[in-house]
Amino acid sequence: MIDSNTMIEFRGLFRHFGQTKAVDGVSFGVERGTVFGFIGPNGAGKTTSMRILATLDQPTAGDAFVDGFSVVEDPDRVRHRLGFMPDYTGTYPNVNVREYLDFFARAYHLRGAKRERAVEEVMDFTGLDVLADKPTDGLSKGMRQRLCLGRALIHDPTVLVLDEPAAGLDPRARIELREMIRDLAAKGKTVLISSHILTELSEVCDTVGIIEQGRLLAVGAVDAIQHPRHKARQAKKVMEIRLIGDTQAAAEWLAANAQIEKPQTDGQKISFLFDGDRQQQADLLRAMIMADFQVESFGSRRQSLEDVFMQVTEGLVQ
Amino acid sequence: MSESSETIAIETAKSGSTMNTFQRIWEFIERSLVWGGDRLNPILVKETRQALKSRQFMVTFGLLLFCGWIWSILGVAMIGPDIHYGARGAEMFVGYYCILAFPLLVIVPFGAFRGLTSEKEDRTYDLLSITALRPRQIVSGKLGSAFLQMAIYLSAISPCLGFTYMLRGIDFPTIIAFLFYLILASAAFSMIAMLLSTLTGSKHWQIVLSVFVIGGLLCGFWAACVIAVESFDRGGTSIPIDDKWFWIGNAMFLTAYVSYFALVFLAAAAQLTFASDNRSTRLRIVMIVQHALFTGWMAWIWLTEHGEEEIALVYMILAGLQWYILGGLMTGETPELSNRAKRNLPQSLLGRVFLAGLYPGPGTGYMLAVTGMLSCVVMAVAALLVAEVIGSFGIYQFQRMSFDEAIKYIAIGYIGFCYVIIYLGLGLLLLRFVKRFTRPTILMAGLTQVALLMIGCGVPMVIQFSLVSLRNARYSLLQIPSPIWTLVYLIDRRGWRSEMPLLLIVLSLAAMFIFLINVPSVARQVQAIRVAKPKRVAEEDAQLDELKHGPQQPARTSPWDD
Ligand SMILES: Nc1ncnc2c1ncn2[C@@H]1O[C@H](COP(=O)(O)OP(=O)(O)OP(=O)(O)O)[C@@H](O)[C@H]1O
Ligand SMILES: [Mg+2]
Repeated sequence: MIDSNTMIEFRGLFRHFGQTKAVDGVSFGVERGTVFGFIGPNGAGKTTSMRILATLDQPTAGDAFVDGFSVVEDPDRVRHRLGFMPDYTGTYPNVNVREYLDFFARAYHLRGAKRERAVEEVMDFTGLDVLADKPTDGLSKGMRQRLCLGRALIHDPTVLVLDEPAAGLDPRARIELREMIRDLAAKGKTVLISSHILTELSEVCDTVGIIEQGRLLAVGAVDAIQHPRHKARQAKKVMEIRLIGDTQAAAEWLAANAQIEKPQTDGQKISFLFDGDRQQQADLLRAMIMADFQVESFGSRRQSLEDVFMQVTEGLVQ
Repeated sequence: MSESSETIAIETAKSGSTMNTFQRIWEFIERSLVWGGDRLNPILVKETRQALKSRQFMVTFGLLLFCGWIWSILGVAMIGPDIHYGARGAEMFVGYYCILAFPLLVIVPFGAFRGLTSEKEDRTYDLLSITALRPRQIVSGKLGSAFLQMAIYLSAISPCLGFTYMLRGIDFPTIIAFLFYLILASAAFSMIAMLLSTLTGSKHWQIVLSVFVIGGLLCGFWAACVIAVESFDRGGTSIPIDDKWFWIGNAMFLTAYVSYFALVFLAAAAQLTFASDNRSTRLRIVMIVQHALFTGWMAWIWLTEHGEEEIALVYMILAGLQWYILGGLMTGETPELSNRAKRNLPQSLLGRVFLAGLYPGPGTGYMLAVTGMLSCVVMAVAALLVAEVIGSFGIYQFQRMSFDEAIKYIAIGYIGFCYVIIYLGLGLLLLRFVKRFTRPTILMAGLTQVALLMIGCGVPMVIQFSLVSLRNARYSLLQIPSPIWTLVYLIDRRGWRSEMPLLLIVLSLAAMFIFLINVPSVARQVQAIRVAKPKRVAEEDAQLDELKHGPQQPARTSPWDD
């Protein structure tokens, strides 16, 4: 264990399916009360590692720990403190929302008034109270997501593992979900969340990890990842230029510059990575104007999580 | 006016007090219901709620009532005016029995099979398996809902059964006995179906399996109907409750039933248990208890039968079969003990050696089977010697026993055991070889034994039939590898065969040889030693202990160790 405040820990985790290395030596820890965002392209191994953490799958090698308990050796103890929301909803026919939550509350050995309170609180929290008597297999996708989250919360776990919880939610529900997650973190819960929608993650997560082909490529606080100071490779800014006139020629002119990487043209806009300080930025602008390009606007943009993601990953699909 | 209002007031006060007592009673009932409901198996609660809303249940229930009604009308019409004089209850009963047998023997067990399979298909099984429910609770919940359905179907048909009783021709104990066996069969089918559903996760195999299950259940249903019709046709309309052997037979049957039921139940639960847990010890304890009960019954029969020698043979053959099947399955366990399972190993070397058979692993399973069979030989020989001694003192006469005959039977049983030791040992060796390529499974171990048996019996037979010189010989020593032919030949005329001494020597040596080859790997498994609980686990255990028993006294330590 790294220290007693580490609620989730992956320790050299491997999971191979035949030739596919779904998880290939992942190690990191998540502190108590923080939200960790897991990002990666399709097939990166997010779901696989989360399933192992939720004690649903066995690692090929390595181990993962929840509150210091191994998911391989002590899954029973892990299960008490972990709520898992998979990327699917398992519903039963002929069971309504309240009965569904009640069943899982019973399955976690909640009794009497305690159970009723847990069910009410969860329905309240997820906004399912209006649907209490609806059959679960007739719910819409977004409602199912809420039900699934409610189910994961029913036994008041200290660690939450949410696999793409925002998938299929409308914009309002997304914002609500974000607030719910912040609420949960404020209550001291540790959350591991995966998503494709990076803007969402950057607003809700304290730390993010980028995974591709089963390997963890970058981990760090959202700020640190967006403004890397120490790593030379990532000390590049995203610049955006709007031009009047021929963008193609400008792009070619820019590409010839050694400080510029990955120039991309989008209509009248060119964006690229720039490796230099503010003085060099000003020099670049002067040089462009001298070269007779009609620059409409010129500026650096705060690097978003998407930019980091695009930089770090290579879009390889295994 | 004032008077009447006063009386009203008194009345209301009175009714208020009665209301109060009623209310209190009602509240008490309600509270106990809630209390009980909390402790009910969650799966039972959920499935009952589901069943009450499900169409399939309603349809079955409706059909059951409808068929019962149709049969009542048909039956009464067929019997005609005879209904007033003749005792025709038995005929009516058989009809109702068959109508009831269909839901009990086909629908309920198949529901139990589908119970787990459909959870896997709907992906609710994952969600269920990570709750605090233990696998045994999952199995017993599913089983409980099967029992509940049985009870509902039974209650639907019970008025009809009452009707048959009033028609006379069938007595109450017979009705009860038939229903009792029907429920036992239904529970056994459900349990086996549930075990089968845990065996494979892949969709293809599930479909193949479900076809087999339906086929098996329909056969079971057909057999139950045939048995009922036959037994009433023979005029046996009342069960022999005065017969001592009826009760003894039932007691023996129930012992076997309960022990096998426990075995299958625990096996199904073990299938659902996470991989690092010890999934074996509980099952092995049941096997040992079962063996002890079986030995006890056999000894008792032997005593009451004044030492009939054939009982020794029956005892050894059944035990050999039992250990062959169980041992064959046990050799498919994974050889590596998880750290979790190692936490509870016995600490002393002596404990490890003597309790080795209880701990998971193919080698220890082999040991358990061998020990079980050796104990049979010891028991049989001991019984023989005891009988000789007691007989010679004239305390109890084993009139039917002849020492020489009994020894022959024990020798045949012993040969059977040698075969089991040889085949299980060969299977173990093969599986150790297979382990280099893939992880052996219990199913694989079972198939290995089937394959070995087919080779052992088939090859010598083919050789014998293809050799001109031997074609017409009945039994030849070429058949030594074939347990079936050899044992059948030996048992056939129950006498001493001339091949006996040779068989005894060859098979003993072979068994010893195979056993010795396996000893190193078994020893390696026995050498596994206890590992300490991880610190975090010990911490939590201490916390839980404290919650339960209050703060603990610090353990007294010796002044010498620090
Ligand atoms: N049961 C399985 N059998 C074989 N391969 C599997 C299995 N589960 C996952 N994989 C493979 O492992 C890799 C990682 O899959 P995983 O579902 O973890 O990706 P993911 O990051 O969750 O992707 P997505 O964003 O699409 O959900 C994939 O290549 C997938 O094909
Ligand atoms: Mg996924």
